[in-house]
Amino acid sequence: MEQPVEHVQATSTVAFPNFGECTFAESEVLTFPWGLPGFAELRRFLVLAIPEQAGYVWLQSLDEVNVALPLCDPWSLFDDYEAPLPYYAKQSLNLANADDFCLLCVCVVGKGAAEMTINLLAPVVINLKTRVGRQVALENQRYSVRTPIPRKPVGSVATGEVLAT
Amino acid sequence: MLVLSRKLNQAIMIGDNVRIIVVSVDRDQVKLGIDAPREIPVHRSEVYEEIQRVNRAAAGQPPAPPPESPEGAPAAPRQVNPAALVARRTPKKKD
Repeated sequence: MEQPVEHVQATSTVAFPNFGECTFAESEVLTFPWGLPGFAELRRFLVLAIPEQAGYVWLQSLDEVNVALPLCDPWSLFDDYEAPLPYYAKQSLNLANADDFCLLCVCVVGKGAAEMTINLLAPVVINLKTRVGRQVALENQRYSVRTPIPRKPVGSVATGEVLAT
Repeated sequence: MLVLSRKLNQAIMIGDNVRIIVVSVDRDQVKLGIDAPREIPVHRSEVYEEIQRVNRAAAGQPPAPPPESPEGAPAAPRQVNPAALVARRTPKKKD
């Protein structure tokens, strides 16, 4: 029996401890060939969006379902953020067409969410065409891996409002 | 761990194309010159370890429960969707 093979997308459903069930197409999976610092063995990730957390997405590991890191758009918090990518990042992620990537930063919520920090020094860079990502330490050393997030935007995120409109 | 003694201006080769040379020695500080292909990232270990620590801290936090959940109650399972990632590498233009 012949089956049409065009447009057939393999989908998977995984139950994540923190987010519940999620069905996704293979084409939505991100590959991190170098892992992530601290999680060098993890290669496959999804980006998950939670409706009530508009300012953030979660980088959810598919290899270890308990690992998910919140990411946020640095420019929604810091207008003047500058992230010149080092050569190795452009080369390894194949960023010849400079418009094909997105850049997000890892956030850490302190106890009680009062002290949130964002890692501006080492953004996660994702090539949107190949869906390959890598966390890249900027050679610009001005930024801290624990930059405090201004309080006001944090409040809006916690109440589920859209962070930047 | 391999331990090698080197004097000023002596070098070590790692593989065929990474060369590390002792540039200066001043009391307890050693300056090293590193010649490596540009596609190899080179960082001070502290920077990498800091990034590791922050990532582990970030992964150790559960997402905030939905606003309607009573405090202390486990977050209800949520249907989440893989987000559409948007190309973004520069500040948003201000209106």
